[in-house]
Amino acid sequence: MELAIGIILGCCALGAGTAMIAGIGPGIGEGNAVGKACEAIGRQPESKGSVTSTMLMGCAVAETTGLYALIIAILLIFVAPNYLVNILMKFIG
Amino acid sequence: MKLDKTIYKETAYIAIWTLIFSVLMNAVFLVIKKWDLTVLWGNLLSFASGVLNFFLLGVTVQKALNFEEKKAKNAMKLSQSLRLLMTFVIAVVGVVLKCFNTVAVLVPLIFPRIAIAMRPLFDKKTGKGGEISGNGRDDSLADEPSDGRDDAVDATETNGEKD
Repeated sequence: MELAIGIILGCCALGAGTAMIAGIGPGIGEGNAVGKACEAIGRQPESKGSVTSTMLMGCAVAETTGLYALIIAILLIFVAPNYLVNILMKFIG
Repeated sequence: MKLDKTIYKETAYIAIWTLIFSVLMNAVFLVIKKWDLTVLWGNLLSFASGVLNFFLLGVTVQKALNFEEKKAKNAMKLSQSLRLLMTFVIAVVGVVLKCFNTVAVLVPLIFPRIAIAMRPLFDKKTGKGGEISGNGRDDSLADEPSDGRDDAVDATETNGEKD
């Protein structure tokens, strides 16, 4: 029984850690976008307003991937273990 | 540092739409008869977190635009990590404390993304979308010269008149 609960907790933690790999991507993507925007503004300083606005939205969209991963990780850490252990208890009796 | 008005404008847009979606979510909770104060508190916590996250993103973007390319990249990576950490802490507080409903804390974190996805539809209706015309240029930029060619043509004509 303890072994089964241990496996469930371990797998949940492993899954949460794996999900958070997706948190790396948005940082790199946003960095690249802002870098290119800096270049663009350097070439055409008068377009700063529109570039900022578009990029802000782009960055927010890119960041959502990280937020999805965060939500999955939180669910796996705090919600899934109780739920799965309850199912196990019912199954074993 | 004085903040650009674009940031306030975009944050206000996100805040308004997140608020609308939050009200809708509360309505759904009411309809399924699972609404209580924990839903409201959780929703408020998540709403504040989402809007603050977007505002901080805007501030970082404005700062980063004044840096050189490599420094801007690093600033954005650092900012993203810190904001993700902030969101994580807020979400964990919302999930662990019993005075917040878990679903009401986690679901509004996605609302800004939905608001951004809806933006093109909203802009098309109000005519702000800047539709691309047949020549491939954005019509919203019609008053501005697309490149230096217009000026170059004028200069040539002027020179021709002089000759």
